[in-house]
Amino acid sequence: MTETAIEAAALSKRFGRRRGPALDGCTFRLPAGRVCAVVGPNGAGKSTLLSLAAGLLRPTDGTITVLGQTPAAARERLAYVAQDKPLHPQLTVADTLRLGRELNPRRWDDRVAERIVAEGDLAPDAKIRTLSGGQRTRVALALALGKRPELLLLDEPMADLDPLARHQLMATLMADAAEHGTTVVMSSHVVAELDGACDHLLLLGAGRVRLAGPLDDLLAAHKLVTGRADASLAPHTVVESRTTGRQLTALVRPDGPLGDGWQTTAPTLEELVLAHLRAPEAPALRLDTPQEAAV
Amino acid sequence: MTTTLTATTAPAGLTSRGPRGLVWAVLRVHRTALVFWGLTLTAATAGLIWMHTIADDARRGNVPCAEPAHDGLPSCASVEAITVDDLYSDGIALVTTALCYVIFPVAAWAGGALIGRELESGTARLAWTQSVTPARWLAAKLAVPAALLTAGTGAVLLLNLWARTDDNPNLVGDWYGPDQFAGIGPVAVAYALAGLALGTLAGLLLRRALPAAGLGFAAALLLYTVLERYRGDLWPKVIRADAGGFELPRSVWAMSWPGPTGATRAMYHPQSHFWPLQYVETGILLAVAAVATLAAFRLLRRRTA
Repeated sequence: MTETAIEAAALSKRFGRRRGPALDGCTFRLPAGRVCAVVGPNGAGKSTLLSLAAGLLRPTDGTITVLGQTPAAARERLAYVAQDKPLHPQLTVADTLRLGRELNPRRWDDRVAERIVAEGDLAPDAKIRTLSGGQRTRVALALALGKRPELLLLDEPMADLDPLARHQLMATLMADAAEHGTTVVMSSHVVAELDGACDHLLLLGAGRVRLAGPLDDLLAAHKLVTGRADASLAPHTVVESRTTGRQLTALVRPDGPLGDGWQTTAPTLEELVLAHLRAPEAPALRLDTPQEAAV
Repeated sequence: MTTTLTATTAPAGLTSRGPRGLVWAVLRVHRTALVFWGLTLTAATAGLIWMHTIADDARRGNVPCAEPAHDGLPSCASVEAITVDDLYSDGIALVTTALCYVIFPVAAWAGGALIGRELESGTARLAWTQSVTPARWLAAKLAVPAALLTAGTGAVLLLNLWARTDDNPNLVGDWYGPDQFAGIGPVAVAYALAGLALGTLAGLLLRRALPAAGLGFAAALLLYTVLERYRGDLWPKVIRADAGGFELPRSVWAMSWPGPTGATRAMYHPQSHFWPLQYVETGILLAVAAVATLAAFRLLRRRTA
């Protein structure tokens, strides 16, 4: 019996009548305890989805359930770090952490928050406005983790960090999540920064779910094949194919065994994501429906 | 047994006294405004205490005189030599005017710094993803400044009344002067609260600091101007018609009066209308504040989950 961290059904969000929908009928399910990557091009609806899950926006249509409750009711149990890491510039680091303690009286853990700040060599009496982008990210993450959330929503968390700080903060984040069984949902358009960290994937494109499911299952469902350009790939689903001279390279979802004429390799996460981004018309694939056997 | 007891009581003893939770958050985030408000109140209090100490001297500089002195009247030269009455008049006028203009900076601040900037920079979303609902956040944002504004303007208002001593109109102005009326009664507090509510609504509407400060200020200006213009209509006027002609005493607020001599019909508010006029205007202002607050909460509710 696995619990559900986020479940969305026909979730849609529109900003204004004239603009197209930011999210358009998204249905997916994220089991608890996973580290989920939300991937997609700019404007795919990643930030909108995270804001909806955090209870900061109201869906135009459909429903979203977080930890079995509405996002508003689950407010205490989730943490959210927005893309631009908003913090009060006039407060010191220590006061910012105290803000977390005062506003989360039932959950706050000073030691966790202070450890993350201390690892970054931040003086507690430094004003937020004097910090660099990376240091602000660290304080924002300390504020989020100090709350001891069951679900951690991070919108482009590592965008303004140098590679070393990114590596260090990601390690801290993953260790903390593993220790407490926290579900982490992280959006990014840099696929490389997620590789090796996440075990669940949600690929969005133009406000719709393109891929959803455990990363291993999604990778196993696809094959990277190379063969002669005039060979047929029917009845398999071709996500994307490219021909160079007489050679054809394609990412396919095999439907039964592939013929002898094909060289097959397993795709990497980056190849899987890029192929789907290059081919917006490829059919969606959801592997996140609860398996009958698991119940 | 003893160890568990000390272990559980120790953190309680360590926690600091003073405001907690959202109240602490509002006071800390807006500390600059809080310090400024404290300094303003201190200056007003000191000024009014000073005015009270020179009130008796000022009254000696504002008496009938004769040149040369006779019939017990002092000589005009000696009275004119006393300048402390001008200082007293100016001091009282300054505080009274400042008191009735509190609405403008309050409305601009509420729209800009209190609400608009938080929505613009995203720090409001930071608060809403802690264990605090948007409605509770807004309630604290309104309640803390409202309490401080009520206490502060109320205290200065009472000090002002105390420093005016016997309300000599030659020194402190007539009760119906636009600034006097709004600076010597409960409307002063109501204006400040209305400014807070209008600014808050402007901030939620525009969600950006600078435009919201401007809109809050403009809304306050409109409210103030309309009320000042129609203040005389807020309570039924006394109509006096007399074929023989008459003059109105200085203590009445003449609304229509054909001329100083030979008047046959006049409309005015006697001084006894001060309190009814104050109550009606205070009621209107508090109603405006309540409607703006309600609209602000509804707007916030519609936007957030």
